[in-house]
Amino acid sequence: MAGIKMATPAAKPEEYKNVFVFLETREDKLVRPALEMIGVGKRIADKVGEKLYCLLLGGNIKDEAKEAVSYGCDIVLGAESPDLSVYRTLPYSKIISDFVKEEKPNIFLIPATRNGRDLASRIAVSCEAGVTADCTELDIEQDTRILSANRPTYGESMLAEILCKKHRPQMATARAGIFPVPDRVKSPKGEIRINSVKVDKSLLKKEVLEFKKKNAVDLTAAKVVVSGGMGLGKADGFKLIEELASEIGGVVGSTRPAADMGWISRDHQVGQTGQTVRPRLYVAAGISGKIQHIMGMKNSETIIAINTDPNAEIIKYSDYVINADLYEAIPALVNSIREEKKKLAPAAGK
Amino acid sequence: MVLEIIVMVKQVPDSQEVVIDPVTMNLNRSLTRNVTNSADENALEAALRIKDKVGANVTVISMGPPQAETTMIECLARGADRAILASDRFFGGADTYPTGLTIAATISKIGKFDIIFAGEESSDSSTGHVGPGVAEFLNIDQITYASSVDYEDGYVTADRELEGGTETVRVPTPVLVTVLLNSNSPRMQTLRRKIDAVKKGMEVWDHDKIGLQPEWVGVRGSPTIVRKMRPIKERERAAKKIDVAGLGDLARELYEKKILKLEEE
Repeated sequence: MAGIKMATPAAKPEEYKNVFVFLETREDKLVRPALEMIGVGKRIADKVGEKLYCLLLGGNIKDEAKEAVSYGCDIVLGAESPDLSVYRTLPYSKIISDFVKEEKPNIFLIPATRNGRDLASRIAVSCEAGVTADCTELDIEQDTRILSANRPTYGESMLAEILCKKHRPQMATARAGIFPVPDRVKSPKGEIRINSVKVDKSLLKKEVLEFKKKNAVDLTAAKVVVSGGMGLGKADGFKLIEELASEIGGVVGSTRPAADMGWISRDHQVGQTGQTVRPRLYVAAGISGKIQHIMGMKNSETIIAINTDPNAEIIKYSDYVINADLYEAIPALVNSIREEKKKLAPAAGK
Repeated sequence: MVLEIIVMVKQVPDSQEVVIDPVTMNLNRSLTRNVTNSADENALEAALRIKDKVGANVTVISMGPPQAETTMIECLARGADRAILASDRFFGGADTYPTGLTIAATISKIGKFDIIFAGEESSDSSTGHVGPGVAEFLNIDQITYASSVDYEDGYVTADRELEGGTETVRVPTPVLVTVLLNSNSPRMQTLRRKIDAVKKGMEVWDHDKIGLQPEWVGVRGSPTIVRKMRPIKERERAAKKIDVAGLGDLARELYEKKILKLEEE
């Protein structure tokens, strides 16, 4: 129990070493944000010559521990029990807080997913640590080993740099879809320490009765996303979006208002209340560019806007602007792509 | 014994009207209108529905400056029974740790509680960390990101909306529940209730009344500090204009620059 008490600064911050990351799982499989944490955690650990520790809890985690090592984790700290096969706040926060108190990491990163946020603040309070939420940039100062935790604020218009100078560990949750998934390392040589644990009954009063999986399209992993907005004018417009998407190997996205209209399921929604994407190509058709949508797609490598309004906000964020009626432009673009593929196909076959 | 429900609320700057001071890079509070955080209105509504069903005392609490009174009165006018504002000059500049501490200490001072509700996050700081922090200080279980909440015979059942789907959980009280924005339709304030709310008024508790030391709270009790604020600069993009006749050239360019790749299709 934390109890009502102030956060006491670490007596000897210099004794806190290494970088912890929490590896979130679903049905004992690492989720994509877990891999993103390995990438950013490794970069920070390497910069100060420290080790990356990955915390992995679950019912059967041996395979995923190897997976974490293959992505560059130095040490997997695992706790295994049938009682841990589904995330629950109390057993997870207790076991992880105990790991923190024992190993004294300098830095601890957790994905800013819903369960990640459910967990992070409890650990911060339990360990009297400082935590910065929903970071989009993370770095470490080499000489002081202070974490520079940067998070957007004021409706994503400003970036706040937040430091935790005296309390340890320095914790942050990191926004999903921002940090790249690392490449696998050539000859992984991480160490795996998995303990079978017995979870105290008092921590297991929450029953998870059911999990209804969304057949959500994983837009975050897509290389190409084609999205439609209110400019489509009707539900049928998404047929055109699908046609272009399938022609260029992309997945279909949407704005929130288009999903609100019922033109497409919410699983396709890109933006603040949907998914954050950073594909190689993002096509925004009939999308004006409200900040809530921009937030979810502005880091795409290349952006094409198709819009009749030459002053639409989306244009500022676009590399190419097709200033035409999308009902004319999309079929014409599909044709041009087909033609181009015909030209390229023989070359590709060689 | 009647159910005791606490609802954590926060007054926030209206996100439609945020004005940033170009010199300090901070919010210009005098030019920005304050409103009740929307998700907290959903949290209050979730509490009032349980009150309608089984009867309950609903107490709203907040930490903030005296002008948060408008939010507190509004909550009373919607149907809360009691409003307590933790307000003290020592509370200013708090990060999520002392904010959670102050609210948890206020709740402890109130005494018995069965369910604590909060919004999923505040629209101004968007951390979602204060609710779970309060639960940790009070050593109780929590249900975050709830889209629906029900109470029966000492148990709260709720749906949690997660990235991959919807999880249904059941937890015995006491429990803290954070409620998703727009997950219900908050009831209106009636004129009758408004008049009663103003008559009833709010209580203001300072650090002494709550039992907190000044150095535990506010900026002094915060592990984190803001070093600097800077405007987010977007990458400049060319916005190259293409007309329908130029789509053939665009298609060629997309493959040439490997923005599209044949082998992936």
